[in-house]
Amino acid sequence: MSDKDKTIQQKMTDLQELVSWFQGEDFSLEQAVTKFREAETAAESIEADLTALKNDITIIKRRFDKEA
Amino acid sequence: MDDVLLSVSDFVALTNQTLEFAYPSVSVVGEVSEYRISQGKWVSFKLKDAGAVINCFAGVYQVRTPLEDGMKVVVVAAPRLNPKGYFNLNVRTVKPVGEGSIKKGLELLRAKLETEGLFAPERKRSLPRIPQRVAVVTSTESAAYADFTRIINERWGGLDVQVAHTQVQGDPAADQIIRAIEFLNQQEPLAEVLVIIRGGGSAEDLSTFNDEPLARAIAASRIPTMVGVGHEIDHSLADMVSDVRAATPTHAAEMLVPDRDAIVRSVRQQASSAGQLLLQAVEHYQVRLRGELFGITERLDERMARTQALLASTRSVLAELNPATVLERGYAILRGNAVIGQTIEIETLTKQIEAEVRHVRQR
Repeated sequence: MSDKDKTIQQKMTDLQELVSWFQGEDFSLEQAVTKFREAETAAESIEADLTALKNDITIIKRRFDKEA
Repeated sequence: MDDVLLSVSDFVALTNQTLEFAYPSVSVVGEVSEYRISQGKWVSFKLKDAGAVINCFAGVYQVRTPLEDGMKVVVVAAPRLNPKGYFNLNVRTVKPVGEGSIKKGLELLRAKLETEGLFAPERKRSLPRIPQRVAVVTSTESAAYADFTRIINERWGGLDVQVAHTQVQGDPAADQIIRAIEFLNQQEPLAEVLVIIRGGGSAEDLSTFNDEPLARAIAASRIPTMVGVGHEIDHSLADMVSDVRAATPTHAAEMLVPDRDAIVRSVRQQASSAGQLLLQAVEHYQVRLRGELFGITERLDERMARTQALLASTRSVLAELNPATVLERGYAILRGNAVIGQTIEIETLTKQIEAEVRHVRQR
């Protein structure tokens, strides 16, 4: 799944995993700078999504005052 | 009518026609006595006051609040003469009236639902932290709905919100809300959260949310439910059976979605913490490297010291073995054979002497 198809929740999960990687056993200094840049990009992407997204509120046309 | 001869059945039918025309629906208040449920389907009781008593008859589904003898109720009913000659009120709805009876009815219903486990904590489902599809049941004309939408729009974006407009007070409200819940539970894709909201009001206004069938519909919802009705102090059976109770509609909006500003702060903090962790890791490696270098230097110094000590000791031994050292202590070196008449050489620290052997004695 490309980054633009991910939901905010997925991006937040990715970011948390990236941060966890720094504290995990797989940590290596060689990859750390790349991972840090990925974390920064994820944070920027989440912020951009949050700012841009609007809610879509629809009032259902069906009436509930009688049995359907 | 004196000259018209009616059969008994005709008379009963005529009486019922007259009653239906004159009193299509009557509301009668009185005290319940001899309350009975037959075969789990039919309810019968007497409604009485100090001067009169009348039989009442209803289907179980029409009695939406448990009743008990002694409770004061209002019955909305159609008066009928049945073919066996009994005069009945055929009940359409029955509701407790008066503070004591309303409270009693609510207590009975609460106890009944509790016995069935509808309030049990283990039934409660958690709501997604960030839902995408949300269903809302409320009156779209209410201030509560306006507040709810304003807050979710301020706090979050990207939600697909489907709103079912219903009455939220009065007799038809409970059935409308039930229909809306059932409708929303049949939609695909299913919403992730079903929110039912209503603003504050009188106890009578909020009594819709103490309706038994409504409480059961909320409990049976496939979609996890959140109910925010009235104010903080208002408690209803609807919020007791819901998965999550919100104190007010505003609170429901706040619980439904996170605050985007808080999330932005949190993700910035997380990215920054990754940077901190990176710096810590670099520092950690530097410290470790310094430690290792220090260890190597220390080991080299130790080895050097040991070698120097060994060298000094060897020098000392060598010095002890040096013949000049022995001569310094007053000893002499003798060269030649100890044979009488032979010449031998004697070396002292300061002199080189030649001497003749004159006498040899064995020791």
